Parts: sequence; C-alpha cells; structure tokens
Amino acid sequence: MTLQAWFALLAALALAAWAVGALRRRTARHEAGRRFFRHPTAAWGIGILAFFAIVAVAAPLVTSFDPRQQLDIVRLKNQPPSWSYILGTDLYSRDLWTRVAYGARISLMVGALGMLVAVTLGTLVGAVAGYYRRWVDAVLMRGVDVGLALPRIFVLLIAIALFGRLPLALLVLVIGFTSWFGTSRLVRAEVLSVRERDFVAAARAVGAGAARVIFRHVLPNAAAPIIVSAALGIGNVLLLEAALSFLGIGVPPPAPSWGNMIADGAPYLATAPWTTLFPGLAIALVVMALNAVGDALRDALDPRQEAM
Amino acid sequence: MLSAMLRLRRLVLVVAALGLASCQRSPGCTGEYCGTLVFAAVGEPDILLPPSTQEAVSRDIEEQLFLKLADIGLSTNTVGDEDFQPILAERWEWDGPLTLVFHLDSRARWQDGQPVTASDVAFTFDAYTDSAVASPYRAALRRIASVKARDPETAVFRFRERYPEMFYDAVYHMRVLPGHLLRGVPRDQWKTAPFGRQPVGNGPYRFVAWKAGQTIELVADSTFFLGRPGIRHLIWRFTPDIVVAATQLVADQADGREQLVTPDNIARARAAPQLTIYPYRGATYGYLGFNLAANGDTMQPHPIFGDREVRRALTMAVDRARLLKSVFGDFAQVPPGPMSQLWWIWDPELRQLPYDTVQAGRLLSARGWRDSDHDGIRDRGGQPLSFRVLVTSTSAIRRQYARLLQEQFRLVGVQMDIDEVEASVVSERAAAGKFDAVMLAWNTDPTPSSGVPQVWTRGGFGRSNYLRYDNPAFDRLVDRATAAATRDQARAAWRAAVETISADAPGIFLFATDNVAAFHNRVADVRIRPDSWAALLRTWRIPPDRLIDRDRVER
Amino acid sequence: MTAWLVRRVAASVAIVFVVVTLTFILMDLAPGKPMLGPTERLADPEAEAELRRQFGLDGPLGVRYVSYLRQLARGNLGASFGLRRPVADALAEAIPNTLLLAGAALLIDFLIGLGLGVYQALRVHRLPDVALGNVTLFLYSVPTFWLGLILLLVFGAWLRWFPVGGMSDPVLCPTVSSFYCTMDRLWHLALPALTLGIVGAAGTARFQRAAMLEVAGQDYVRTARAKGASERRVVLRHQLRNALLSFITLFGLAFPFLLTGAVLIETIFAWPGMGRLATDAILRRDFPVVNAAVLLASTLVVTGSLLADVLLAVADPRLRVRDLA
Repeated sequence: MTLQAWFALLAALALAAWAVGALRRRTARHEAGRRFFRHPTAAWGIGILAFFAIVAVAAPLVTSFDPRQQLDIVRLKNQPPSWSYILGTDLYSRDLWTRVAYGARISLMVGALGMLVAVTLGTLVGAVAGYYRRWVDAVLMRGVDVGLALPRIFVLLIAIALFGRLPLALLVLVIGFTSWFGTSRLVRAEVLSVRERDFVAAARAVGAGAARVIFRHVLPNAAAPIIVSAALGIGNVLLLEAALSFLGIGVPPPAPSWGNMIADGAPYLATAPWTTLFPGLAIALVVMALNAVGDALRDALDPRQEAM
Repeated sequence: MLSAMLRLRRLVLVVAALGLASCQRSPGCTGEYCGTLVFAAVGEPDILLPPSTQEAVSRDIEEQLFLKLADIGLSTNTVGDEDFQPILAERWEWDGPLTLVFHLDSRARWQDGQPVTASDVAFTFDAYTDSAVASPYRAALRRIASVKARDPETAVFRFRERYPEMFYDAVYHMRVLPGHLLRGVPRDQWKTAPFGRQPVGNGPYRFVAWKAGQTIELVADSTFFLGRPGIRHLIWRFTPDIVVAATQLVADQADGREQLVTPDNIARARAAPQLTIYPYRGATYGYLGFNLAANGDTMQPHPIFGDREVRRALTMAVDRARLLKSVFGDFAQVPPGPMSQLWWIWDPELRQLPYDTVQAGRLLSARGWRDSDHDGIRDRGGQPLSFRVLVTSTSAIRRQYARLLQEQFRLVGVQMDIDEVEASVVSERAAAGKFDAVMLAWNTDPTPSSGVPQVWTRGGFGRSNYLRYDNPAFDRLVDRATAAATRDQARAAWRAAVETISADAPGIFLFATDNVAAFHNRVADVRIRPDSWAALLRTWRIPPDRLIDRDRVER
Repeated sequence: MTAWLVRRVAASVAIVFVVVTLTFILMDLAPGKPMLGPTERLADPEAEAELRRQFGLDGPLGVRYVSYLRQLARGNLGASFGLRRPVADALAEAIPNTLLLAGAALLIDFLIGLGLGVYQALRVHRLPDVALGNVTLFLYSVPTFWLGLILLLVFGAWLRWFPVGGMSDPVLCPTVSSFYCTMDRLWHLALPALTLGIVGAAGTARFQRAAMLEVAGQDYVRTARAKGASERRVVLRHQLRNALLSFITLFGLAFPFLLTGAVLIETIFAWPGMGRLATDAILRRDFPVVNAAVLLASTLVVTGSLLADVLLAVADPRLRVRDLA
C-alpha cells in the first residue's frame, strides 16, 4: 500500500476517535447523553461506525488500487497478507483491503437504505394501526402476521426468483419490504399507549386531523423505540445481505459488498482463509457497533429510567 | 464438593467404558474380497432408473447395477465394433448391412435369480423409445428401427440406415432392464417409479439402501458372472458442493472423488498423505457463446454479434491460455473449437485465432466501434459496445471465467455486465433466445456425432443451438464427418469443420477440462475409463495387507 | 378465553391459506423453467415437454391452482419432479433431521443463554458481566453461516475434533452397535447445533440479562430484599420467574427462526434437513416441494406464536386476553 494511503488510514482512525470525543463533549450537558456514554461499548461503537463511515466515504484515499483491478490473475491470486497487500488478495487477484473499503460503501448503504425503507413502512403501518384501532388495526395486524408467517429467507428467495437478477436499488427495496413487520408491532404498541394521554386528547379536541396528531404528537413520543429499532435494523439488514450473497443472490458482481466477498471466498476457506475472514470480521465489527449503540440508545432514551 | 467431583468422574469413566465396549472390534472381513469405499459425491441421484435420468451420480451408481450389451474400451473409440468389450452379449455378428445380432451370455442373471433374456433387451428398447417414458436418450436411438428377441438368448437389432457408429448406438445408450419387474409399471409413471428407489439389476453390485440426503450403499455380488468384484461395499456419500466433498476427502472421511475441479482442491488432495491423484481426460468443454440473433428476436441479427469480424476481434482480445492457467492451473487445455478432450478428434494444434489485443482493437475500429466520447467504452452510432452475459450462479468455474473475461474486455473498450442467475433461468432464457451472451458448458458423450450437430448445426435450432449459429458449409462438413466410412475420412472432415467454426467464432472456446480424481492410496488396480469413471470399479481391489478398519466391517 | 382461542385459530388458518396462495402465484410468475435434468447434458425438448405435461406443469394458472387445492384437500402434497418421488415422502425424511438440529440448537440456546443471562445479571457491571457482555455482543453480531464455515474449517478440517458435515458415519454407524451409532450421531450433530445455538444463546443471554435487570428494579423485588430475604431467594422466586415469562414469548418467536436460520447451516454442514430441501427446490423451481415447505413452515410459525400467546396467558393471569390480540 502506498504511503499516502497509510497516512490517510491513520488520519481516518484519528478522525474517528476525535468524533467520539466531540460527541461525548457535546452531549455531556444532556442527561440522555451522559446515560448513553455510561456504557463503555457505546463509545467504541460510535468510534467503529465513524471509522467505517469515513473509510467508505474516503475509500479512494485510504486505498491504493482499483477494487475491480485484477492485478495478476496467475501469480497474485489468493495471496496471503503482505506489506504490499495488507489484507491479501482474492481469487481474481484483487487487493482485499481495497475491496473491503469500497465494500463498506455498498454494504453500509444497503444497510442504511434497507433499514430506512423498513422503518418507514413499519412506522407508518404501526402508527395507523395503533391510532385508528378496531378494524383498521385488525386488518393491518393480520397482514403483519401473514408477513411474519412466511419465513424470511423463503420470501427473499421467491422475491428474487421473481425478478431474476436484482439491481441494487430493487434489492434494497425487497430487503426493506420484508423487514418491517417487527417495527410495526413495536410502533403500534407505543402508539396505543401514548394515544390515551392528555395532550393527544387535547389536540384532538382542538380539531387536529389524524395525520397531524400522529406526526406531531404521537410519534415524537414514540420515537425512542423507533430509533433503537433503526439502529439494530441496520445490523440485521447487513447480516441478511451477507446471507443472500452466500446463496448467490445478493449484490451483483463485480461491485464489492462484504456479503458477496464472503461468498466468493468461501470455497477457498481452507487455503485462503483471509478472503472470507476479513469481510466477515468487517460485518461483525459493524453489527457489533450497531448493537452496542442501539443498546446504549435504548438505555439513554428510555423515560422510565429518569427516576434512577 | 470433592465427593461430587469424584462421582462425576466415575460416571464419565463408566460411560466411556461402555462406549468402548460396544465398539466391538469384530474379526471382520479378511482376504481378497473385502473393502469398503466411501465416495464423496456432489449432489444426489434423483432416480435409479436408467432411461429416466441423466444425472451424473445416478449414472455412476447405475453403472454398478445395470449392464449394457457391450461397453467401449479404454481407448473410447466409438467407430466400428472392434474396441468394444462384451458384457451381457458374449458375441455378436452382422447379418446383413442393417442387422446386428447379439448372443447373450447365458450366465447373466438378475439379482432376484431370473436369467437375463433377449426379451428383456427388446423390452428395454421399447421402454427407452416410448414417448410416455420421455427418456432423454430417445433421440440417440432414433436410427434403430426395431429390437426383437429371436430366441431367449438372441436379440436382433435392425437399423434404418448404415453409418459408422451403428454398434455404438446399439450398445452405449441403453442399460438392459428387467422386463419381468417393470412390465407392470405404467409407462407414464416410470419417472417417479418406486423401482427407481429400490432397483433390482444384473450388475456386479447389488442395491442395499438409500438414506435420503445422506448415502446410497451397494454390496458386491459374489456370483457375478464376469468375475467377483474386488471391493465388497460401495457407499456414495452426498454433499451439497465440491468444497465440502473435498474437505471430507482430505480429512479421511471419504475414500475418493472422481473430480476435484479446482486447482485449490487438487493441491489439498496432493498434500494429503493418504490420497493418490489420478488425472484423466475430461468430457466437458466450456465457452462464452454469442447470440447471433437479436436478444429476444430470432428473426433479426444481433446488433453486435451478428458481425463476424466483431466476434473474431472479441476472441482475439482474450488471453485464453492465461485465463485457463488462473482458473484451472495445469489441469485443462484451451480447445480449438467445440470439443472435449474425451473425443478422438481432440487436437489442440488445430488452427485457432491468436491472442492479439492490438489486432482486436484495429478490427473493432475498422468495423466502426470507436470510443468517440472517451468514456473507455467503444461505441458506434450512439450505441455502446456493451452487453450482458448470462452465467449460472451454481457453476464456480463459469462465474470465475465471467469475471476474468469482464476485465479482459474492459481493457479493449468493451463493457460486459454479468447476470448471475439460477440454472433454471439460464435454461429458459437461452432456449428462448433472450440473451446477448451466455457462459455454457457441455458434458459430452464419447463421440462428437451426438454433441456437435445438436448444438452447432441448423438442425439444432429449437434444440440446443441457442446461439443460432448457421453455417451451411459447416453443416455439410459435419454431415460428411458423421457419415464417413473410415476414421481417416472422418478425421479430415472433422478437422475442417472445427477450423471453420473456430474461424467463425460464434463463441470464445475457453476450456476443455482434465478431470483429476483422488482415491485412497490403499486401493490397487485403479482403472478409470474417461467417459465413465465408475465403469471399471469392479476390477479395483484392496490388497489384504492394506485393509483398514472400515474395510473389515461386516454388514 | 375460548372465544378468543377460536378467533385466533380461525385467523391462523386464514393466514396460512393466504400465504400458500401467495407462494403458489409468486412461484408461477417467477422466471425460469422447472429443471428436469442437468443442464450440461444435451436434452430432448420433446421428452421435456412430455415430462412437463405429465407432472402437471402445463396449463393456465387458475386451473393448476384449483387442482392443487383439490389435491391438498385429499391430503396429497403432489410429486416432486426434481426428487422424482412424492413430496410427502421427501418431507417426512427431511423434517425429523431439521427438528433434531433445531431442537438441539434450541436446547443449547436455552441452557447457555439462560444461564449466562442470569449469571451476568447477578454480577452486573462487574468484570465477568462486562467480559461476557462483549463476547455475547460479538457472537450475536456475526453472520451465522460465516461462523459455521470457520468452525467447520478449524474444528473439522484442521483439528479433526468433529466430522466434516453429514449426519452419521456411513460405514460404521448402523453396524457396530446402536450405542456407538447414537454417540456418532451426537458427534455429527455437535458442530452445526453449536453454531446455531451459540449465536442464539448470545441473543438470549442479552435479552435475559436485560429482563432480569428490569425486574430487579421493580418495587416488589426491592421490598423482598428490604424484608431480608436472601439474595438467592430473591433471584429465584421473583426475578427468574418473571423474566421467564418474557422468555416464553421469545421461544415462540425463536422456533420458526431456527427452522429458517438453519437453511444456511444445513447447506454448510451437509445436513439433509427441510431448509436445504426447500432452498434447493426454490432454486430449481420445484413447485410442489416449495409449496409444501411453505405450507409447513407457515403452519409452524402461526402455531408457535399461538402457543406462545396461550402459554403466556396461562402463566401470567395479569395479562388480559385483549392485550394479546
């Protein structure tokens, strides 16, 4: 790897550490912020996420090769880590660290967008079901049950079978469409409990429309579980993308995603384990960070903890 | 606390002792005819009824259970009848130019004791060619008019026309079936017949058990009329993919595998102390096929691939030897045309297009494909030189090739996008002509006469000629080759045909595999016939001094 | 209570019906010819057309759907053209294998997860809790199949402590003795069940720890402690029992997930279970098997969730039926 890339990498690490410190200082004034950083893993989580986000954005700076470049398909394929190729090379003699860095872009983007779709849908459905109750609630929740009744892997396999090869956008949408059921239940429960409170009754007495009541009064108070489920949701989408790629139907080549890198490297695990190890570790680290952050968020935003 | 620990330890010891005691080391089998071989198979048979399946593992197992009238020799020559070995038929003669008479070996028996008779042979032909059975082998038997039983030990084949491979067609495709057991099964139920899960055959091995998803077990028939098999038990163990199979093999949990496929697996097998490597000629060849007709419209030529010079240029842009080395290491060769190493016409020295990127670039520019907007991709009249290739997601080799090709094309300004889809989708789209390019591979029979016409001539339209390659000169050469009276005439015609198609470049012919098998080194007399590795299993043996534990098990 | 139960069962049946219909339609719309043989061998188009006709794969969607329903009503799940046998037979052989794997994984999940969660809650914020917390966090975050691949490589291929896939030793298992065979099967079951179970246990441990801590802060527990009850008593009688209720819900949700989460593990460890059967069938467009597998899986899911709700209502009289709906 070139010297510039090394410097850029160290700079990224430093930037991530600084970001954690800065966040900590900014939120020290709020009770929630202090509660958040009481968890030691939360700081690490933010740091790891920041690092990967920086690497994803600045991928050309922290790497010295092109992710699609096949360096020498006869002599440089499946090479172990060395000074020139710090994480080794893969089956097509492409530098692994470069692909992990560029893969961060796609994996994180799929994760974030997929989660966005899932949380948006789930929140909408859950809010509407919880607010209107009775038959609207019954129909929607039965729909959620249908969605939960079908094993997710099968749904995805069938959905992907339907569309043949999925372009990235469609893949994100499909993943999102199959991941919102849990969120909707969560949101519905929150909405049900919030809707009986005084300020909601007051708003309705004044004549506010349903949408206004939901969005301006009910949802902000139900925000906590939504945010937590969002943080955890990204992790689930990442793991799902990896599983789909392993089955041969994830992000299409040659674009690198951590999932399809694991799938590519799996047949050579015995002789070139680094090709599967590093993308898997990347996923594990990011999902760990997300889970840690999600847990800490849950703790921080939970109003019932106020008394303690 | 201490007493609790002691009690626990005593319990563990008792359990362990019981366990060991139950592992009786029975004296077991000793001598010449012992042995258990476990094969790590990829996939699982669908049904063990010969006319109903072409699945590889099914065919390997059927090889042990059901016999043919005669079988090809180690030279895999398919012309004439001199190189064939008598199996069920102990001798044969020609009774006129279109009539072939087989005399069956009177010692041949079905495993329920009944003798194998000529009426079984006639019944077999009737079943293979019955449209209700829908056998994939039916087309291969179309030039045989009838098979009749003259008497219980004489079967008479009558042909429609005279051609060099008459004997081959008579004996190679059909495995003789027990008429007395299958006559009662309605023909349209053969595809799911219970007989196929509990077959009764006449071969050197007898069916024992099929544990779905796990194993199939066969045991040697000690009274087999052509000689008692050396290995007593054969067990096929099913694994979902080649990697698990190779890992089992290397970890000594299986005794052999007929094909290791990747150089990685071969290196691991080489490094394993208990295995011996056996390379042999492979029956597969693979290529990147160009759709000569438009994507989705077979009446129009393809805007890119309809142009012969463009196809030739694309072929010259690819360093096939280097790609081969990267994917297969030393265990494959670049075929000059659509041929596998198994075919007797195999000749890597035949004229083919060279690797020359400069010439390729010049040709493309000459045909109007220039990079006018400097985006790295050539274009002509506003259309970029860009296409999509269909690749079966389950074939690691073809996927690997697709990605390597993608990069090779990028270097000459051609953009190829990869559609990795399931085999069922590739099948459907290829047959319907809804593709630009497709990565294909064929597992061939020992003779080019069956493979080439169906895939590369006009007669293959609607069959397996997905690319719609149509060259009347090539078709004439193929006809001449398949009808030629002598091998030399045939060889000359095939050479000309292969050079013609190579020059037309309907596809880039990428690899013709060498198969590399690995078997436990205690097995002696390992003979592998390249067209069917398991054909000579009954001649293998394990010398008594090399028996290991699993060989001695009495089952 | 009975009225609620009847309504729930009726709703469950309706859900399963909708799911099966949806699957039928979707699989039909999916591109790809049903695979009737290996694609690298030359095929005979007439033979394939005849086979398709014999297997009932031709004809308009509506007609096929109706005949499928009629077949189902008679208890016939159809014949698989990929496996060349009745679907019911194939399922009957695959399901026990998946149940074995899922059951063993669930057992490991429950035992280790519960134990860890309780232990962590008792030592909250001290070193064992923090260390274990990080370990469970990691295990909860890895892709299960990736963990399986690595465990198989390290413990199967390199150390040879466990076999490389499969359910039993094909040579020695049935013959030597049934005790040996049982041990052998357990030995083959160990690695895949551990892979599935450990990841699940990590999640369960985190959940259980949180549940127990939540209960610990509540008034009645503090009262018990203030009254002088021993720590052990407090834990066992109050925290554990109440946390157990939340565990039952988790169980109801976990079981179907194990069935589907097992798909990738079954592939990696060559375990002939239902997940692998169904996945192969989807990829091969083997409709009869897919429909039957989906029918089975969705039935199990709704039954599992129904059971969990019933158990919860029975175990905790405070939960009124209305809240569960």
